[in-house]
Amino acid sequence: MTRQMFISESALKSLAEELVKAGTRLVGPARERNGDLVYREASDLGEIELGGDPPTRSLKEFFLPPTEVLLTYRQKQGDVEVTPAPHVFAPLVVIGARPCDAAAVAAVDKVMDWDYHDELWFGRRLATTIVSVACGGGDASCFCTAVGLAPDSAKGSDVLLVPVEGGFHAEILTEKGEALVKAHAARFTEGGKAEAAKAYRDAARGKVQANLSADPAKIRAFLEAGFDHPIWKGIALRCHGCGACAFVCPTCHCFDIVDEPDSIERGTRRRNWDTCQAAKFTLHGSGHNPRNEQNCRIRQRMMHKFAIYPARFGEILCTGCGRCIRVCPGGMDLLETLDKLGRLPAGAPAEAKRGAP
Amino acid sequence: MQELRELAKKLLAEGAVKVVVGYAEGRQGVRPIFAATPEDADKLIFDPRCVQNLATYLSPRRAHVAALGKLAVVVKGCDAMAAAGMIREAQRKRDDFVLIGVRCGGVLADPRASAAVTEATVAARCPGCEVREPKIVDHLLGPLPPAPPGASALDARIAELDAMTPEERFAFWTSELAKCVRCNACREICPMCFCVRCVCDKSQPQWIESSPHARGNLAWHMTRALHQAGRCVGCGECERACPVGIPLSLLNRKVARVVAERFDYVVSDDPEKPAPIGTYRLEDDQEFIR
Repeated sequence: MTRQMFISESALKSLAEELVKAGTRLVGPARERNGDLVYREASDLGEIELGGDPPTRSLKEFFLPPTEVLLTYRQKQGDVEVTPAPHVFAPLVVIGARPCDAAAVAAVDKVMDWDYHDELWFGRRLATTIVSVACGGGDASCFCTAVGLAPDSAKGSDVLLVPVEGGFHAEILTEKGEALVKAHAARFTEGGKAEAAKAYRDAARGKVQANLSADPAKIRAFLEAGFDHPIWKGIALRCHGCGACAFVCPTCHCFDIVDEPDSIERGTRRRNWDTCQAAKFTLHGSGHNPRNEQNCRIRQRMMHKFAIYPARFGEILCTGCGRCIRVCPGGMDLLETLDKLGRLPAGAPAEAKRGAP
Repeated sequence: MQELRELAKKLLAEGAVKVVVGYAEGRQGVRPIFAATPEDADKLIFDPRCVQNLATYLSPRRAHVAALGKLAVVVKGCDAMAAAGMIREAQRKRDDFVLIGVRCGGVLADPRASAAVTEATVAARCPGCEVREPKIVDHLLGPLPPAPPGASALDARIAELDAMTPEERFAFWTSELAKCVRCNACREICPMCFCVRCVCDKSQPQWIESSPHARGNLAWHMTRALHQAGRCVGCGECERACPVGIPLSLLNRKVARVVAERFDYVVSDDPEKPAPIGTYRLEDDQEFIR
């Protein structure tokens, strides 16, 4: 049973001040100079937007940065000297995470601790406490309820705040959440305001549910049987293969590892974000590319998120945040695609007709 | 609108083309449609929300589109310039595709917007446009709307940047480029980025570091801007595609202006006019070679 508490707006502000004063990094959705909302380090809760639109980029970059140094090397004749990067995982508290973003990091935890335990990912995960704020229901691109989540989903959060009159109903969900409350005990009052929070939660859920009601099990069944279905022939016509969808996606986690020389003798090994939407992603050294057109690459994206990941890890690799839809310059619409796939009978490719994408 | 739909249906019925690439209403705003049937053709529209440069689908890199067969593409002036660029640079032959030109009065910045074209809502690239009636096209449809209102916000911003000291300007671009995550959306959507193998993908030797750090980002965007010199059609799709909001149009327009001043060349929809990047002229300024 999670602990229910209440924190006023001013108490949350004081809590943030105390964190910053103690040297903890404070991160939340804040506006850039050009008006973009992004998760970034803030010095004050006043900079952080606790509700509204999802930030343009997700929270994943705080656990898997777009680029990071793995090691440096030095090579002279036969000698090679390798120095691992001195990673320091400083304590970080995220305030105002959107529940879809918190759920995403919890989903990605699975693959990061699979055949290989990713120390960099978990170093940062362990050092981070996530305080989410329940979302008001998002916009026309949101579909979290269709993938088993909700605007007030607790998955991946250490504390979930739900806006109520004068402050927030707080659900303390994990040990890290408890530790945060203990360290700032004076800021919280016992009991919570579950009743008052209910109306907000119900309204938000209803709003998202209206966007898409698809059955993930049906979609998965179609994907598992429909690898050669004619729908894939035309699925990605408008797609540019630009990969912006994957880069803003909170759950896409593929990376590339490169060695970049700093001089003749020295160099740096880095890992950088990569995406299955890029033609080069599967290009073999022989010149053969098994995913030689964008239709195959989109199929891969759908398969990975809605069939392969669930089969291997028991979770859908999509939180319905809608960023891929908002960002797509070609008008690709995952919500629409899921709706379409969910209506197709599994394993009956001959009956399908290619409509105009 | 009806004129466009009827023409599309005629081209499809006659077998002149397999697919008409045009604009259609989507769930959220206007987006491209690949119309292969009369029913699809009835969905075609053209209005100021049609911001996308559809000529990009003619790029030889798009195997999934090329597989459809011969295309007709609905083009505004800026899109027609891209099609002409592909012909000029020997990527496609003029007979490979049909161009359906639409007379244009400027488009909105965002295909999801619903406002009319005003000084406040018009795409930054549109004011001052000189190709509102593309000449290279096979068909030209619609009445000519009034010219896009106002002056270009891009020109004003470039003037501000020109007035900066080199240090200030470098600081501006450093901070903008720091946001780049190297997704390559700017490259992939660009009709003039048609190389099958991009210089930034080469790893032996690696000319451009692929990491999104200051050095790699600067090398990539400098290289791209210079490759676009005298080639960029100014459609602004790179900037629209950028998921982190880098003002790439500023860079491209500045370079285009330098090319106009130094080489007396402005990109047009005339594929016969040779571009400076592939031309040697004795009268070109040589003063930088000392």
